[in-house]
Amino acid sequence: MRNLLNFIIKYSTWFVFTFYVLISCILLVKSSDNHFSLYVSSANAIGGVIYRTSSEVTDYFGLLSVNQRLQESNAKLENEVLNLRNQLAQYKVLAQDTTGAIRSHRFGYIGASVINNSVRHPRNHFTIDRGSADGVNPGMGVVDQSGVVGIVDVTGKNTARVISLLNQNQHFSAKIKDTPYVGSLTWRGEDPSVAFLEEVPRHARFHIGDTIVTSGFSTTFPEGIDIGTVMGKVKTTDDTFLVLKIRLASNFKTLGTVRVIKDALKQELDSIRNIGAYE
Amino acid sequence: MFVILVLLQALLMDHIVLFGSAVCFIFIYFLIKLPVNLSANVVLTLGFLLGLSVDVLSDTPGLNSLCCTILASLKRPVFFAYEQHDDQKRNVAPAIETMGFFNFCKYIFSIAAIYCLLVFFVEFIEFSNIGEILIKAAASTLFTFLVMLAIDSLIYKN
Repeated sequence: MRNLLNFIIKYSTWFVFTFYVLISCILLVKSSDNHFSLYVSSANAIGGVIYRTSSEVTDYFGLLSVNQRLQESNAKLENEVLNLRNQLAQYKVLAQDTTGAIRSHRFGYIGASVINNSVRHPRNHFTIDRGSADGVNPGMGVVDQSGVVGIVDVTGKNTARVISLLNQNQHFSAKIKDTPYVGSLTWRGEDPSVAFLEEVPRHARFHIGDTIVTSGFSTTFPEGIDIGTVMGKVKTTDDTFLVLKIRLASNFKTLGTVRVIKDALKQELDSIRNIGAYE
Repeated sequence: MFVILVLLQALLMDHIVLFGSAVCFIFIYFLIKLPVNLSANVVLTLGFLLGLSVDVLSDTPGLNSLCCTILASLKRPVFFAYEQHDDQKRNVAPAIETMGFFNFCKYIFSIAAIYCLLVFFVEFIEFSNIGEILIKAAASTLFTFLVMLAIDSLIYKN
């Protein structure tokens, strides 16, 4: 026993070193989807307070551009309201569909501010100032006024960490607008304004400048939210699929206000999907 | 100093990326300034905690804590690569006055280079080729070195 103690004391530095390296490696490998990750992410209490305070200060510097973008989106929304009013007037004439009630209220939005953001890592995250207390849950989609920006992965009480679209581990289901051609949107690092739409069928027709939107196949995003525009085709060795280069609609360097999407049917749809798994 | 450097890193330095590749890791200045004769266990612990704090705030779990732990273990050998074993210098923090300007520069440059290489290799090894990693590491080393030298001369003006 004494020898053992002496041994441990003599080589304590090695034990300490190995211990810390092990902890770091565990964190590095199991960085997401465990309960512990809440405490080592910026969504924890201390991180939340620090980034809230700092964004209260730095927000002032971006007010001009934020204002501009808000005005743009305001104009767009006003147009949309007018269009919808016209459509509504037309539909009122038609026979009423009683199942329409839930469909129109399926998606709700929770407004939030981005309080910490990064674009330089291969796996980027950002933090928002809404958490489980505001109804934000892991798996919810996040959009800004221009388009899709990410998916919530860890929620604290008043803050949440979001996997940015600029994250090489996260894929988004997307399609070319007004066509049935679906692909998987992936960011490959380097340029924060360019991503790639992979696994598009070879026969898909597209033009440069076509809009890429969400496919609506998941409960994360409703169908038809902007993601970006086609910049061109990428040469690949794969004969069965196309890869398209996409210019992203959102400016990830200056994320300000975002909205978290809440799907009223999420639980229902997920439980239906799980029924198959038990068979 | 610990808290100030970690906050400086998370709130300011993490958002400055020069020429798309140079990042400043200012917080390792804390490790550089630790007295040489401090017990190895204490240095390792401080290094680990330093890295962990930065990791928590910039959402890179494990990355900086791993690199800081390794850096903490290499600090002593690097210091003695440029300095003689001299009892007088051991109790104080490494500084320009005790080491001389060039030796101090060599010391912090080596530390910065080791750290940048470690960080970029661990983070980008799956995603980029060796050339890109080396360019990033070299640019960041230079940036980190210059900022640390500037801060050091501001603090120890007289």
